[in-house]
Amino acid sequence: MAVSSPSSNLLLLLLISSLDWLSTPGSAFLIDWDHMTSSAPLEPHFTECISRDQETFRCWWSPGTFHNLSSPGALRVFYLKKESPTSEWKECPEYIHSNRECFFDVNHTSVWIPYCMQLRGQNNVTYFNEDDCFTVENIVRPDPPVSLNWTLLNISPSGLSYDVMVNWEPPPSADVGAGWMRIEYEIQYRERNSTNWEALEIQPHTQQTIFGLHIGKEYEVHIRCRMQAFVKFGEFSDSVFIQVTEIPTKESTIPLTLVLVFGILGILILIMLIVVSQQHRLMMVLLPPVPAPKIKGIDSELLKKGKLDELNFILTGGGMGGLPTYAPDFYQDEPWVEFIEVDADDGDSGGKEDNRGSDTQRLLGLPHPVSHRMNMGCSNAISFPDDDSGRASCYDADLPEQDTLMLMATLLPGQPEDEEASLDVEERASERSERSLVPTQTGGPQTWVNTDFYAQVSNVMPSGGVVLSPGQQLRIQESTSATEDEPHKGKEGEDGDETEELKQKELQFQLLVVDPEGNGYTTESNVRQISTPPSSPAPGEGYQTIHPQPVETKPAATAEDNQSPYILPDSPQSQFFAPVADYTVVQELDSHHSLLLNPPPRQSPPPCLPQHPLKAPMPVGYITPDLLGNLSP
Amino acid sequence: MVDRVAVGAVWPVLVGLVFCGELTTVDAAPLCTNAQAGCHVLSLANLFDRVIQHSARMHGISNDLHSEFELYFLPSKNQIGRVSRNCHTSTILTPNGKENAQRMAREELTEVILKLLVAWRDPLWHFHQGLAHHHDFNNFSSNKSLEMSDMVHELRKGVQKVVEKMQTLGIISNSISSLASPEVLLASNSAEWRLMKDYDLLYCFRRDSNKVQNYLKILKCRIVPEHGC
Repeated sequence: MAVSSPSSNLLLLLLISSLDWLSTPGSAFLIDWDHMTSSAPLEPHFTECISRDQETFRCWWSPGTFHNLSSPGALRVFYLKKESPTSEWKECPEYIHSNRECFFDVNHTSVWIPYCMQLRGQNNVTYFNEDDCFTVENIVRPDPPVSLNWTLLNISPSGLSYDVMVNWEPPPSADVGAGWMRIEYEIQYRERNSTNWEALEIQPHTQQTIFGLHIGKEYEVHIRCRMQAFVKFGEFSDSVFIQVTEIPTKESTIPLTLVLVFGILGILILIMLIVVSQQHRLMMVLLPPVPAPKIKGIDSELLKKGKLDELNFILTGGGMGGLPTYAPDFYQDEPWVEFIEVDADDGDSGGKEDNRGSDTQRLLGLPHPVSHRMNMGCSNAISFPDDDSGRASCYDADLPEQDTLMLMATLLPGQPEDEEASLDVEERASERSERSLVPTQTGGPQTWVNTDFYAQVSNVMPSGGVVLSPGQQLRIQESTSATEDEPHKGKEGEDGDETEELKQKELQFQLLVVDPEGNGYTTESNVRQISTPPSSPAPGEGYQTIHPQPVETKPAATAEDNQSPYILPDSPQSQFFAPVADYTVVQELDSHHSLLLNPPPRQSPPPCLPQHPLKAPMPVGYITPDLLGNLSP
Repeated sequence: MVDRVAVGAVWPVLVGLVFCGELTTVDAAPLCTNAQAGCHVLSLANLFDRVIQHSARMHGISNDLHSEFELYFLPSKNQIGRVSRNCHTSTILTPNGKENAQRMAREELTEVILKLLVAWRDPLWHFHQGLAHHHDFNNFSSNKSLEMSDMVHELRKGVQKVVEKMQTLGIISNSISSLASPEVLLASNSAEWRLMKDYDLLYCFRRDSNKVQNYLKILKCRIVPEHGC
């Protein structure tokens, strides 16, 4: 054994160990007792020796099957501390017989020194086991840690799991502060109703995080510890329960979504309402209406359904101010209203209605319909401010006034109600001489004829000119002659009545002065004068006759200029309120665009424009009303 | 004799290699004087922590080896009783209790630590050599034994650094520097440890590494009790 190779050492060790094992009966407490056979009598032995703090330790013994030795004092504990080769067995320094425990205090405890325990009975019977030798550091089982508690670290975004930080204090018995004991801990946790413990990693710190706990479940946590680099764990601590319930703040997202949904619905409904309420405007913006031909200052609606009296009112100047006051209201907000030019030369039949074209055609006796490029938007000097779009000037001298008259003429037949009215009028006026509306020659300043649709001819000049009666009186006398008009009412509603009145009063044409020089139409002033109501409206008559006398003065003045058979009420003093007996319907237009109320027999080829178109054998001069009957146009 | 010379020649080289290699030891950074620039100055607490960690690891390895050895040899036996002979380090007076250790002077305690570490250098090397040549044990044990022997060496150097630091700080006196060279100590114990069996060696070393760890911890908590005490 002087020079021992490792292999020989090992072999020797093996032999010795095997021999030792065979020789020793029984077994020491450091090994398992489980595999010991229960058949063999169990002699007194030590069950366990434990040190809590590496400064003291205790040993417990058991008498085994030797019950006679169970009484206290029957067995004595002896220990051997192998400090030196000459150490001796000593008796237990402190007995605790109630527990069969031998306690070694600090003075009797030495670490890193082997201890051997021995039980001795009476008569020096010794029960000793070689295995009952140990060193104190190997039997250390620390106390469980204390002050175990937990704090919530965070919750996962899904709200289903959370992390917990568990912290504790080292056992007070273990002197960790002095560094005498270095302890490492092991945490175990499990669900409340589970049987398996989950063990976390052993680590020397006094806190540890448990990850992935589930919301709503209850967990049980306990902890134990041991010396570092040693095997034996201490006991478990008391359990601590962890439970985190659901957090209600999650629900705040649900009303948020509801609010959003309802808000969007409300906005949509609002948009729908706006669309529906402003439908017309939107339609106007999105789908601009195709501009229809319009007489400036005249609403197309008036032309349609028997609002002729209103139309007349407009045309005659609307009472005081005429069209200027009235018409702008119509079309100020309708810039899209286009104005149709009346152009005789234009072959384009831009007539408002086809029947008018046919009527015109009929009137004129022309094979083709007269063009109706009507310049309705033309404003005259007296007229309303022209807000026509794009129309440079309506004061076009070249534009024949007769066109407007023609328009009126064309319009006239187009009105069924007017025809009715006219028919009625004609009935009433059958006894009266018919008048004929003769368009005057155009020329000179273009004037817009503020005439009613129906202009009753009050006088016919020998040369063929026609004296028209003013229609303005209609409005003023509406109230007075309301009763008279009653029998004529009843055709339609109020509008119809009004139009009926208007029509009746329209018979009071404005006096149209035919100017052979071309200014066939009177100016507004003249017309206005003409249209002032006569001093004495004839009751019972819906019509008014034009007082020819004032007329006479004018044409007298002008007749001298040229043999104008026409009446020219130029002076403002002329009060031309000749009540017109009745009005006739323009039936024809001759080649010179003159209205022919009753187409006269062709006597002579129609002269040029300046010439008056109608050459009836008329007495030169005035025709007095009483002479009207002689007239047969 | 030839073997010893070879071992004596190879061993410093090996140790040097290991020293430069894997282990994160206390000697990684040189001690700086006067806080020179670019020099990583370690505090005493840091030094102590490193040393204590080292000793804990050393104790762990010795524990593993001891347990492993118990597998090869009959595990049902508690071998303590059979250790009739004391470990070769029994001659070194070591405090066997907490109070004794706390009552001991710092210089004495430091000396004890150093003596222990010195005493185990050669035996462990020898033990490793025996294991390496023997194919009965797996490589795991062989590596562990090598690591263990290296650790002892490293730990001794680390503790020496700590002592120097303490001496510069004036915590302990300079009496330790008079510690004799390891060869002196080694010579006095050279015969004994050769007589020991491997298993006894492991058992003894396991006990002594625990002692070293304990003493270092007590020293640290007495001198620099900031962290982890």
